[in-house]
Amino acid sequence: MELLNLYQNNYLIVFVFLCLGVILPLVALYLGKLLRPYKPYDAKYTTYESGIEPFHDSRVQFNVRYYIFALMFVIFDVETVFLYPWAVAYEKLGIFALIEMLIFVLMLVIGLVYAWKKKVLKWT
Amino acid sequence: MDLETLLSYEWGTMAPEFIILGVATALSLLDLFMPKKVDRRILGWLGFTGILAAIVALVSLIGHDTTSILFDTFRLDGFAKAFKLILLAGAALVLLLAIDYEPKEGMKEYRGEFFYLFLTALLGAMMMSSSGDLITLFIGLELLSLSSYILAGMRKKNLQSNESAMKYVINGGISTAITLFGMSYVYGLTGTTNLKEMSLILGNIADPQHVYILGLAFFLIFIGLSFKIASAPFHMWAPDVYEGAPTPVTAFLSVVSKTAGFVILLRLLLAIFASVPVQGDGAEPLPLLLRMQDYLAFLAGATMIIGNVIALRQRNVKRLFAYSSIAHAGYILVALTTMSYFMFDAIWFYLLAYLFMNLGAFAILQLITSKTGSEDIGQFAGLYQRAPVLAVGMGIFILSLAGIPGTAGFIGKLNIFMGALIREPAHFVLVGIMIVMTVVSYVYYFGLFTQMFFRPAADDSKLKLSPGITTVVVICAAATVLFGIMPNLALDFFHQNFNGFSDFLQ
Repeated sequence: MELLNLYQNNYLIVFVFLCLGVILPLVALYLGKLLRPYKPYDAKYTTYESGIEPFHDSRVQFNVRYYIFALMFVIFDVETVFLYPWAVAYEKLGIFALIEMLIFVLMLVIGLVYAWKKKVLKWT
Repeated sequence: MDLETLLSYEWGTMAPEFIILGVATALSLLDLFMPKKVDRRILGWLGFTGILAAIVALVSLIGHDTTSILFDTFRLDGFAKAFKLILLAGAALVLLLAIDYEPKEGMKEYRGEFFYLFLTALLGAMMMSSSGDLITLFIGLELLSLSSYILAGMRKKNLQSNESAMKYVINGGISTAITLFGMSYVYGLTGTTNLKEMSLILGNIADPQHVYILGLAFFLIFIGLSFKIASAPFHMWAPDVYEGAPTPVTAFLSVVSKTAGFVILLRLLLAIFASVPVQGDGAEPLPLLLRMQDYLAFLAGATMIIGNVIALRQRNVKRLFAYSSIAHAGYILVALTTMSYFMFDAIWFYLLAYLFMNLGAFAILQLITSKTGSEDIGQFAGLYQRAPVLAVGMGIFILSLAGIPGTAGFIGKLNIFMGALIREPAHFVLVGIMIVMTVVSYVYYFGLFTQMFFRPAADDSKLKLSPGITTVVVICAAATVLFGIMPNLALDFFHQNFNGFSDFLQ
């Protein structure tokens, strides 16, 4: 039971930080509101876009193809991440890792062929 | 590691997995490079042959000693062999259904993918059944889950199928996260992912704080995996996903995926938590697993009640079967809860019986729903006048699902009862709930029955039987009756070949 209390007491500090985290922005914003002058007019309410007059909706729809491209990129990015440590430690890992890597790369090549045939690599 | 150690492993024991992997890869490449005009059904037959080959390879391995490859990441023990047989048989039958599946809007473009995704899901399930390492088990679980997410959304243009895939992915993601969190506790306490080493280390655990954390880990793992077996508290996805998914996929989820869920659940719970000693009120320390029985019993009871009671109100046949499958998960959980000497026999036999009775019912369901395009229970009206043989087949499956003597479902339930009552103290409450709920389930099962045999048919058009569905119905009906009358065929096979899973942790 004593251990449990000790364990729970450790979370007190987390709780303190949680409270601080909530209070700090509230206090800061409230103080700012007290100190700043309040004189609104229309131009102040427009969106600030680096000095350019805002001309359309700030949310733009992206082409869905970017998403597929990003997925492809991630797959091959991860592949390189795995290949690097293997290449560096090749001397120590020996033939077993070579076979494993061959299987790994082969599977990814099949994936690439799949994407290619399914016309993922084409923009239009 | 050098080449000699690599070659010293008995890779031959992995033959069934290699066959499935090879066939799945070959199918995906064939699907890509075959001309557009060629009918993709040939790929389905190829996949079916692949599964049959894997079954043959597995059967030839049945007498093989327990082997372990690469520090238990793959192990072939009695447990793995017994459950892989069920998984492979289920997948073979499901593939037959998939070959004959013809949705209204057609599925020209994706039919090839349809077949090999079943195979990759099967591969995941097989890895789950024969691994003794947390990481490999988890990879198997994910392979199965990810493939089934895609399968559920296979009808791209169908709104319900999309909804079902979406719900499945989100729920699945949450449940996987919970499971993984539980696994992380276990790993953190033992510092190894190997189940065997884990159970050794946990056997000497003394700190009550650690036992407390292990209790948490137990619940996290169990709750997370209850998603795969569709039991309370993670059962809510089942009706929606079952309804929207293509019928062969629904059959796959309710049989193969559920079996795989029970397999990984047994593997993890027994390997990890059965060895943790907990000092209780008595002098003798009990394993943590036995201490958790009451909670498991509660969840099993809740699953049975929820499944059976809500099923009473369903008009949609697929939803009805979803709730019925939740209820069946509850029955099997009863066997798991009691942890009697017969637990493995009861669970294995029930899953076997469930495989045949449920797949047979889904075969007929697929035939009728795809003919009319509606999944209302009224579509079964007058089936006896339209197709007497089919109605009798469906009758057998429903009787078996309800657990009437003479069918495999009855023997399965009987085994579970015996296991629950043989324990000291006996689980009377749990058995009571199970009996009452079985009686409740008669209402909706026999509702289907009256529709088929006593209501006039809405239209008298002939039902066209396709070879795949006919084969599935015939095999399933024969097996359901055979194992109902001569259950010892299966049970003796089980006892003779698998030694009561004595090599589970060796």
